Amino acid sequence: MVNLTIDDKQVTVANDATIFDAAKAAGIRIPILCHDKKLHPFGGCRMCLVEVEQMKGRLIPACTTPVSEGMIVRTATDEIMTARKLVLELLLLKHPLDCPVCDAAGDCDLQNLTYEYKVNSNKFTDEKFHWKIDYENPLIERDQNRCIHCGKCSRICDEIVAFGAYSFVNRGIEAKISTPFDEKLDCEYCGSCISVCPVGALIAKPFKFKARWWALNRVKTVCSYCGTGCQLTLGVKDDKVLTTVYDEDQGFHNGQLCSRGRFGYQFVNSDQRLTNPLIRKNGVLEPSSWDEALNLVAARLGEAKNYDPSGIAALVTPRLTNEELFLFRKLFKEIIGTDNIDHSAGYAHEALTKGLKESLGVTASPAEIADIQKSNLLLVIKTDAYETHPVIGFEINIGVKRKGIDLRILSDKAGKLSKLPDAKSYIHKPGSELLLVTAMAKALVDADLVDTACKGLDEFKTSLAGISIEAVAAKTGISADTIKSLAVDYARAERALIVLPIGLGYSGHGKELTQALTNLAILAGKIGKEGCGILVLGEKNNSQGAADLGIHPTTGGRDAAAILAGCQSRAIKFLFVAGENPVVSYPDRAKVEKALDSVSFLVVQDLFLTETAKKADVVLPVKSFAEKCGTFTSAGRNIQRIRKAINAVGQSRSDREIFAELIARISGVAVSGDAAALLGELASSTPGYKGVTFENLGDNGFIYPVEISPKLVTVILEESPAEEGKFALVTGSSLYHCGTMSRFGEGPMLVAPETYLELGRKDAAKLGVAEGDSLKVKSAAGELTLKVKVGVRLPEGVVFAPYHFESSSINNIVTGAPVTYVTLSR
Amino acid sequence: MSENAAIKILICQGTGGVSMGAKEVEAEFFRVIAEKGVDAIVGKRCDVIKTGCRGLCANDVLVDIITEEQGRVTYDFVTAEEVEKIVDEHIVNKTTLEKRKAKPYYNTFVDQQMRVVMTGCGQINPESLDAYLAEDGFKAVEQCVKQMTPASVIDEMKKSGLRGRGGGGFPTGMKWSFCAATPGKVKYIICNADEGDPGAFMDRSILEGDPYCIIEGMMIAGYAIGATAGYVYVRAEYPLAIERLQMAIDVCYEKGYLGKNVMGFGFDFDLRIKKGAGAFVCGEETALMASIEGERGMPRPRPPFPAVKGLWGKPTNINNVETFANVRHIILKGADWYASLGTETTKGTKIFAVTGKVKHTGLVEVPAGMTVREVIYNVCGGIANNRKFKAVQAGGPSGGCIPADILDTPVDYDSLIKAGAMMGSGGLVVMDETTCMVDVARFFLTFTRDESCGKCVPCRIGLKAMLDILERITEGRGESTDIDKLLEMGTTIKKASLCGLGQTAPNPILSTIKYFRHEYEAHINEKRCPSNCCKELLLWRVIPEKCVKCGACLKACPVDAIKWEKGQLAELIIEKCTKCKSCYDACRFMAIE
Repeated sequence: MVNLTIDDKQVTVANDATIFDAAKAAGIRIPILCHDKKLHPFGGCRMCLVEVEQMKGRLIPACTTPVSEGMIVRTATDEIMTARKLVLELLLLKHPLDCPVCDAAGDCDLQNLTYEYKVNSNKFTDEKFHWKIDYENPLIERDQNRCIHCGKCSRICDEIVAFGAYSFVNRGIEAKISTPFDEKLDCEYCGSCISVCPVGALIAKPFKFKARWWALNRVKTVCSYCGTGCQLTLGVKDDKVLTTVYDEDQGFHNGQLCSRGRFGYQFVNSDQRLTNPLIRKNGVLEPSSWDEALNLVAARLGEAKNYDPSGIAALVTPRLTNEELFLFRKLFKEIIGTDNIDHSAGYAHEALTKGLKESLGVTASPAEIADIQKSNLLLVIKTDAYETHPVIGFEINIGVKRKGIDLRILSDKAGKLSKLPDAKSYIHKPGSELLLVTAMAKALVDADLVDTACKGLDEFKTSLAGISIEAVAAKTGISADTIKSLAVDYARAERALIVLPIGLGYSGHGKELTQALTNLAILAGKIGKEGCGILVLGEKNNSQGAADLGIHPTTGGRDAAAILAGCQSRAIKFLFVAGENPVVSYPDRAKVEKALDSVSFLVVQDLFLTETAKKADVVLPVKSFAEKCGTFTSAGRNIQRIRKAINAVGQSRSDREIFAELIARISGVAVSGDAAALLGELASSTPGYKGVTFENLGDNGFIYPVEISPKLVTVILEESPAEEGKFALVTGSSLYHCGTMSRFGEGPMLVAPETYLELGRKDAAKLGVAEGDSLKVKSAAGELTLKVKVGVRLPEGVVFAPYHFESSSINNIVTGAPVTYVTLSR
Repeated sequence: MSENAAIKILICQGTGGVSMGAKEVEAEFFRVIAEKGVDAIVGKRCDVIKTGCRGLCANDVLVDIITEEQGRVTYDFVTAEEVEKIVDEHIVNKTTLEKRKAKPYYNTFVDQQMRVVMTGCGQINPESLDAYLAEDGFKAVEQCVKQMTPASVIDEMKKSGLRGRGGGGFPTGMKWSFCAATPGKVKYIICNADEGDPGAFMDRSILEGDPYCIIEGMMIAGYAIGATAGYVYVRAEYPLAIERLQMAIDVCYEKGYLGKNVMGFGFDFDLRIKKGAGAFVCGEETALMASIEGERGMPRPRPPFPAVKGLWGKPTNINNVETFANVRHIILKGADWYASLGTETTKGTKIFAVTGKVKHTGLVEVPAGMTVREVIYNVCGGIANNRKFKAVQAGGPSGGCIPADILDTPVDYDSLIKAGAMMGSGGLVVMDETTCMVDVARFFLTFTRDESCGKCVPCRIGLKAMLDILERITEGRGESTDIDKLLEMGTTIKKASLCGLGQTAPNPILSTIKYFRHEYEAHINEKRCPSNCCKELLLWRVIPEKCVKCGACLKACPVDAIKWEKGQLAELIIEKCTKCKSCYDACRFMAIE
């Protein structure tokens, strides 16, 4: 600790604190424009200048200067005030002062400081700049005339986002922040630059002219897209969510968001939202009252229950809150008495509910998100985790760039993280990751690098007897030496963490892969320690909660695939779908549609009239995450609160209210639909959740503990032989989308509006296609015509398509195998 | 010189020499000597040797011929056509071509100096390792590694009193000790050769004339600090320096003077050149390191200082070319010898690039503590064209001016700062009575305003705002509050800017206001430029009393705006005049105002 004096106050702070930090700790505010605690020190704006007794002769920037013992600091002498005023006068000399039409007005550091320092005249005169404003890119309006050159946009894009869309160009007064060749911005549109811009040089186009900042009500909640669990502040006015608001103190991610989180909120107030219950009458869905709809559903459910509970099945989206999932489970498992419940097509959670369950005895990852930065080596599997969980990607960026974490990516395609300094990508043949990981385990055993204390070692060794690393090398396309050295590097790292993103786009052997990876961690003794273990990244905002609450068959019931098969065979007569959109997101669309068409009674509750809802007999409109309270559990086991920001859209009700109503109507017993009460109830019955209440969750939630009992498990290797002469189609997530809900967000759709087929340059040249051309993609299951996107990340013979979109949905041609072999033709 | 010593023909081939045709002169010497069989005729070998810069570049091509009989004779302004004659007369006939010999002032220029750093420069072939070895090359590093501990090398540097020649004057030994004290396996040595001050070219001359001494200096620093790799950051505008240094590095690698286990001493040292891309600010050490890292060359806040967290985040020691060039001499001749040169606070010698309205411009190495007057008058021959001395700008765009009444200021770090100027990299721009001090301030500010990296507000916008005011003043639109505004802003910008560029950029303005406030006042209040320099304020007429009817102005005028006939007073036709000032500059009698 260091002792210093600031404005006659004694302050004691950590050794690595800056004068700015120390002043803040002492309650002394030093003005800043270019400083951001997340970024490397910059020292450009010169607003934070202070005087230091020991460094006389010049003014010292508080935000970059580390404290030292006995420092005597003054923060507001006449000389300092003169300098700060000069800085403001100079900035205003070039700034357009178009505050009346600037979207940052009210949230502008320059405006606020100008006011605070009473700079109401200027000693100087000069012409303003007339830089061309970039209106052309879809989401970010860039007006360099307003820029004050704090460099935060360029720095955050480089240091945290690791994209590098901006840089300073030119010198002297003509210096400005620019894009490559000064063209329109073309980036991944996470909007981090907007969040840190202290003025109105960068503004979110979707929010332009929507509201003044001071008119916004700010509501803290949690993002409802992926499983990262980013905290979010919604900007609300007139009962509408108009924007997301940056709060640098929020969450492990310090308010950082990805494109979906920042720009994808518009689905909440989309004019496509369902506002009324709908009942199919004479083949047509017609508006009805809640009573009529609920009575009908309750009556049909009751009838079906009385006939045979096993003929009832329910699918639910892991986007619902824990409280809602809890009631969902209660309704179907307890009241109706069926075990035919599932979510995410089954396979998108098997990694947790089967893989980790059998290997570790729990359905949650032993590692937390914070372990990423604590590890020395990260082994990322399947994809690079950036597209599925962009903000976790930021964490990896920071870890690699600042802490020198050794990043190893095992994937069928390169990704953004492959470009990080010293990152090593192991691009294997599609579908061969399971073999590869098993061969790594074999290499550890061969090299005698195993923890001899681990349970079931002898048996496990025997199970590997048939594995030849050389044979695996041939099948995976990764050389035997590389496999061995990767295994050795992993084992020798002091702390090593495995990261495995899962989701609807990443089909096949989720359970086996997780087990093989967990075996690896157990063998190498990389589990149960800080910065070690395995982190399975559930796809949706509450995928982990759904696993925790057991929203899957546990007593021999049907899983999602079996439910759909049951519908088709008419074993399932009543299907309840809460928030899922199987027609678009589950594999094999033809089969799904047939199943839904075959079922006698289909109830769908959703925000939108989805492709699945269109087939329903009753459609119940639900509230979005912005209209309700509850909790989500993130991939890192963090239970966090979501808060109501606006009143219900139309007559929509929360899933919780609907389930409670149905329980009451069917069983005649009233249950509480109150979120707090439900949380109390579920907390007492869910391992790790004990004692959790809304009150004690606090701002940063609660990371519940897990007790693991690691065990080596023999993994059944299933091989998917490559089909000669065909392209391997791998599916996954688009960076701009998550599931199918983001299609109703204006932001994501402006950037990525449709399905595409991405292929490498060589393949594109071979096929004679260019970006934007169309290709016919034919698999055993069907045929689709997709627009071509040409990139550099795919190896020859491998093509990629995201799964989120309704039209040309990729499940027309994929059926849930790890790889789909397709032919391409013009 | 021994009986059979070869005749040496030294041809200056620095950038100045080459641009004046030194290569052709050299080729001609080779041709003539070969064709005539001069070696046989005189019975001795004639060695034609290219050397680095001698300092008096204005007189290039300089050729020194050293024979037993005549000793060393210098010919200046040599052209290829004259070579045959020089060979015939001087070498074959052993008679000196008196008319073509450099004038006595050349010897004065040379003799008044004290060459330490530039001993090799202009004497030895910069492209020959053997030539360097013959001058005790790499003996200093050998002595360090074999006989001294790293700590004692640093002690020796401290004892010598050497201060950084890049401008700041930070004690070199102390700087090395900081970096040595920072723990870390990987450390770097950087040589700052991004010499950017207008008119300064001492670093270039050393690199061109004696590149091995820089390599050796850096090796010694590497040994002392525990660094095994170094970078020389040279501006790309110095192609010849880069070429020669690269050649020297390549030879060193080939002969084992660089790389693993240097000279079998058991220590490693790697060296490479990083070319700058033309930004003045990259001479600032943190911007320079950013540039090496591949980032835009923008300064970073200090602390942390490079000695703690420098290149790629590793402890780094950065010195400039001239500093490294001193190192081997200190080791070879001892710290005590070095400390005996110079003044109490500034030891050794300093090279100055003297330019401007002085008779003999060029590079001058003098012991610290010589007065400015001595440099200008004794070494450089005083003011050209018999005009009156007005001031000398010391330290380039970061420095300040020294007026006539303090011309006896000694050239050492502290005296120059006290005078309101600074040593800087050692530029001395001499100004005479025709130089307007407001215009000088405007000139330097135009430079710094253009070269500001744009990172910090005071420098980026403040310099532009100050320049606007200065331009207004020189155009006759000055306001009465302008001087105070400039003073206030200048003081604040100095204190508030991020790096050395902004912190010193107002110096030329502040010092010209301090010493020549009356010139500012004349511009503002009387809309008059006392030096008849600012075009907008000239009257553009001939003063009849001063005109000697010589017609020089007529010849100089490119647009026929002068009416003159023999024996008549000249007349300036204002309608045709483009205010180019050619007539003004041509008039030796100050008859145009």
